[in-house]
Amino acid sequence: MTFLTAEMPSYTYAVKGEKLLRSGGCECMIARKEKTSSESCGYLLKISGKCRDALKILDRYAVPYKVISDGGA
Amino acid sequence: MINFDNAATTFPKPAAVRRAVSVAMRKFGGNSGRGGHELAMLTSAALYSARETAAEFFGAQPENVIFTMNCTHALNMAIKGIMADGGHMIISSMEHNSSARPAAALALKNKISLSAAEVFPENERTVESFRSLIRKDTKAVVCTIAGNVTGQLLPFREIGQLCREHGICFIADGAQACGIIDVKMSDGINILCTSGHKGLYGITGTGMLITDGKFPITPIIQGGTGSGSLSLFQPDILPDSLESGTPNIIGAMSVKAGIEFVRSIGTDKIFRHESALCQKFITLIEKNDDIIVYRSPSAEYVPIVSFNIRGMPSEKTAALLADKGFCLRAGFHCAALAHASLGTENGTVRYAPSVFSTENDTVSLVLQLTKLKNY
Repeated sequence: MTFLTAEMPSYTYAVKGEKLLRSGGCECMIARKEKTSSESCGYLLKISGKCRDALKILDRYAVPYKVISDGGA
Repeated sequence: MINFDNAATTFPKPAAVRRAVSVAMRKFGGNSGRGGHELAMLTSAALYSARETAAEFFGAQPENVIFTMNCTHALNMAIKGIMADGGHMIISSMEHNSSARPAAALALKNKISLSAAEVFPENERTVESFRSLIRKDTKAVVCTIAGNVTGQLLPFREIGQLCREHGICFIADGAQACGIIDVKMSDGINILCTSGHKGLYGITGTGMLITDGKFPITPIIQGGTGSGSLSLFQPDILPDSLESGTPNIIGAMSVKAGIEFVRSIGTDKIFRHESALCQKFITLIEKNDDIIVYRSPSAEYVPIVSFNIRGMPSEKTAALLADKGFCLRAGFHCAALAHASLGTENGTVRYAPSVFSTENDTVSLVLQLTKLKNY
């Protein structure tokens, strides 16, 4: 189940975020945006499982993101 | 055919590099960072892994590794990108045209002011030479880590420190050093430009710009990046801002394999092997009074030896050696400033071994050289 979906500015940051989160014990996967947003096409980081630290991890490593759905992670 | 022109591009390439190219051709046929289908994602992951390998090798962040066509491309991006708003720039008197020409082009159009720091055999004098040229508006120092004509190793760590003290961007040209000596961004380098096809053993058409991100680089090329597609403005995130258009994915995979090959041996061991060959070469040819070697006992060198047969144009020497199956580059090596400093009006012949070069081949070369002096 996806708890949090973050829009990533590029594939590079999506995969960097994915690796950092996985090494921090957060389950996640990269997905292509299903719907083209007003900004552009791109990639999402879907974070599953309870991972309250996910955003802190991304912030700590200066990985840019935009939360587009927060399921309570 | 025996290749001693490895300072231009290394050949042969390691088996692991050849395999990596073959795998990339068969598996990574999508486009990177553009699309969500399996082929695109596989290719994107592969390219990211190449960034990670390079980042780890040089002590950088993966997103700060920009794949380029070659070192010249990287240096143009760095020089024009950092100097976009003008200012003063210092280059060394040993620079390759890959730095000297873009710098001169900006200076000729009065977009920047440019100074050239003289390089001496003694490191302290070279550092002082750079220090004496620093002005209030000095924005960048561009310096090769090792000259491509004589192989002289410049005091790049000390120059990096000098730049750090003055808040100046240090752009280092690592074309003749990367893969042969241990180069890290923590050596005081803000932007490292290197080829991928020389000491890193990737295929031709590869290079990298690696930045520590402290000095924003204005892109000189804009275009598709796979990100922010609806905006007419170039993204400001790396690597996208500096990597427009489809990257050379197969080339990047070859560089990754090349770096892994270098790492498996170790730069120390590579340096020792190639330097030992250079020393053997010098020892043998110095017995001959008709051969001039362009080295100073006060300077340090990467494994390159420039020489001439007295009274014989360098191109003639190289042509006669080529007839005997030896590949050495003669002439001016795209380095007008360095040859002007050396005073070599007819250029030089350059002996540049690789990790695959042998002592036997070096001795054979010297035997041929001994015969040539009678021409």
